[in-house]
Amino acid sequence: MAADHNSDGPNDPFALMRGWVGEWEKLVNRHGAEWLAKPEVAKAMQKVTSAKIQAEAARDEAMAKWLAAANMPSKADFDALAERFTGIEAALARIEAHQRYPEGATRAKPAPRRTRKPPGANQSA
Amino acid sequence: MNEVADSIGAARVEFERMLQRNIKGLGYFASPAPVLGASPKDTLIAQGPWRLYHYHPRVDEVYRVPVILVMATTNRGYVFDMVPGQSLVEFLLDRGYDVYMVDWEAPRREDRHLSLSNYVVDFVGGSIERVMRESGEPEVSLLGYCMGGVLSILWAGLQPQPSLKNLAVFTTPVDFKAMELFQAWSDERWFDVDTLVDTLGQAPADMLFTAFDMLRPGARAAGNVRLLDNLWDDQFVKAHRMFDRWSSDMLPLAGEYFRETTKKLVWDNALVNGRMTVGNRPVDLANVTCPFLHATAEHDHIVTTDASAPLIGMVGSDDKEEVVLKGGHVSLIAGPNAVRRLWPKIDQWLGEKSV
Repeated sequence: MAADHNSDGPNDPFALMRGWVGEWEKLVNRHGAEWLAKPEVAKAMQKVTSAKIQAEAARDEAMAKWLAAANMPSKADFDALAERFTGIEAALARIEAHQRYPEGATRAKPAPRRTRKPPGANQSA
Repeated sequence: MNEVADSIGAARVEFERMLQRNIKGLGYFASPAPVLGASPKDTLIAQGPWRLYHYHPRVDEVYRVPVILVMATTNRGYVFDMVPGQSLVEFLLDRGYDVYMVDWEAPRREDRHLSLSNYVVDFVGGSIERVMRESGEPEVSLLGYCMGGVLSILWAGLQPQPSLKNLAVFTTPVDFKAMELFQAWSDERWFDVDTLVDTLGQAPADMLFTAFDMLRPGARAAGNVRLLDNLWDDQFVKAHRMFDRWSSDMLPLAGEYFRETTKKLVWDNALVNGRMTVGNRPVDLANVTCPFLHATAEHDHIVTTDASAPLIGMVGSDDKEEVVLKGGHVSLIAGPNAVRRLWPKIDQWLGEKSV
């Protein structure tokens, strides 16, 4: 489909909407940003964020205690396990990379010459 | 008679578009996300959130000085390597540069103590050392984007750095007081960064995503309407999916790093006030004496012109240049706008300085 985005036909039901959406976006961005920059709004946002963080932390702590009582692994245990796996994966990646290209070793494909000059440099030289 | 024929033709086009919107709308949800960041590369370093990639050269003769792209810490580096034809990495490789990238993964709980010094000295500085060993060259060029640019100038400002041949940064903020919305939201009177970091160990990605998203509160909804409108257009949909995926794919920030950048850069505005330190060492951008380029975007809603403009006057280089290009924070570096504007500028500026 090769069509020009700017060629809104007279029968295009979206043609009117395009202009309207653009104007609406500008309006919302301008007034929204002004509103969000107000100290009382920023303060309220931070209070909500802070409360959410505290609630999540309390929930995680309570859940961890319950799981420990049930002799089951917690999210933190799974995270720790995931970290170990990530560490093992990273170590494997390093070993693989080292096997392919040991530092200072010659690569299978010859390294490119580092002698390139910018276009036009040869003519002016 | 012609008018009738034109109207019928136009109606047919609109009918086909409507049809395509429906057919491709179903396909949109059923098809897999586009594969991004697929240029062949070797991972030289994978340690915690720190990654260093070396891209496979595509030509037989490259410039002497290797190039290191430094990605912003909140986002993934594949914005530099979207898809063939829209990849800065591919562009630089084709023009004969030896390309490396400092990229980031999500920091894990064990990474919560990583500080700004770790990012600047160990990760950026360590990448430069590794690239010098890998390439056998005593000098490198650094290209930093947004916060990657901040990390680059902090490293360069710690002391005179003989290994730094060229430094180019894109949309890099230094005057954080000029980023008004971020200032309002992280006002130290009610933003308790210590509780956040001490409780979670990191700045969560969803919190950062919301903050960036709210800089333009109407943009996401309007973007979705435009997507619906253009569902018939494969190119539009492809570009939308690429950038939507990238912008949603945000990374959390390591706790101490977030705490330190908030207190020093956002609250104290330490770069502009001359009080910036990294690991107790002062940062003086007068130490930057290599050729320097700062590219900013005319319509950048994240790093505004006021926030980035002072940088050019702060660096000590005699050979320095600032360019303000059309575009926004992301379209400056990726997408059709970048292909036309920034990328040729980088090549023109860097090529003659890379021999």
